[in-house]
Amino acid sequence: MKKIVIVGVGALGSHVVQFIRSLPQVAITVIDRDRVEQKNVLSQFHPKQAVGRSKVLAMQQTMSFLFSRRVVTVPHRLTADNVETLLGDADLIVDCLDNAEARGLVQRFARRHRMACLHGALSAAGDFGRVIWDESFDIDAEPGEGGATCENGEHLPFIVATAAHLALAIQRHLEGGDQVGFTLHPGGVTST
Amino acid sequence: MNMEIRQDEARVNITWSGQNGDLPDTVRYDCTDADVLGWVTEALRGGTVPGIAGQRLVDLREHVVDRFPANLNRPYNLIQVRPKTPFG
Repeated sequence: MKKIVIVGVGALGSHVVQFIRSLPQVAITVIDRDRVEQKNVLSQFHPKQAVGRSKVLAMQQTMSFLFSRRVVTVPHRLTADNVETLLGDADLIVDCLDNAEARGLVQRFARRHRMACLHGALSAAGDFGRVIWDESFDIDAEPGEGGATCENGEHLPFIVATAAHLALAIQRHLEGGDQVGFTLHPGGVTST
Repeated sequence: MNMEIRQDEARVNITWSGQNGDLPDTVRYDCTDADVLGWVTEALRGGTVPGIAGQRLVDLREHVVDRFPANLNRPYNLIQVRPKTPFG
């Protein structure tokens, strides 16, 4: 059994969980301290009934209800104090976070322990997505206050397409150890 | 696009303002990020990037230059000029 830990179940992470639900011999753990907001249901795999609830607990309920799929939940913020406990035994870390500080924490831990780590990242305008392994990943700074946030429903198709390629990269890695990456943009998908 | 790309060259792909295209000409793979951004800015202003409508006001300060060496799936070096991707 391989353990996949998905950090962040917002736009990308919530869709990735349901895309990889049928991978054989895989245990899924999700980490996120946020709660579902009304605006999230426009672009994330969280139902309207989950508004106000913990994202990971809502995810757990949705996966159980729709797919009878067990998911282990951690409704806490990833910090320097708990990163060893939460990520230490993962076979694969999938970073779907939306803040540079937390991404940095994941990256430093994965590099220090030479762990497989895949990152998913989206532009604010919903016109560029990255599926990239840690060896090549540079963390982009967040926009200033008032900047676009890629949270509107109009970006849903692009978010889902990026999440699907994250799931494909995960599948290829589990099957043969490959580390394939992708960029998604208005011109299509490029293998990196 | 149908161009010969040598080992020391790269194709430059640009995502700008919700549009995407390649520079018509290859560049040296080891050129600087500043060079790439300068050439791309001029091409976007001139409307010479197939797939991207020309615009006089082009500001790439919030864009990033990524480099990907050739591999089995893509037998040429690739340089991508892209918007920042802080979200997940």
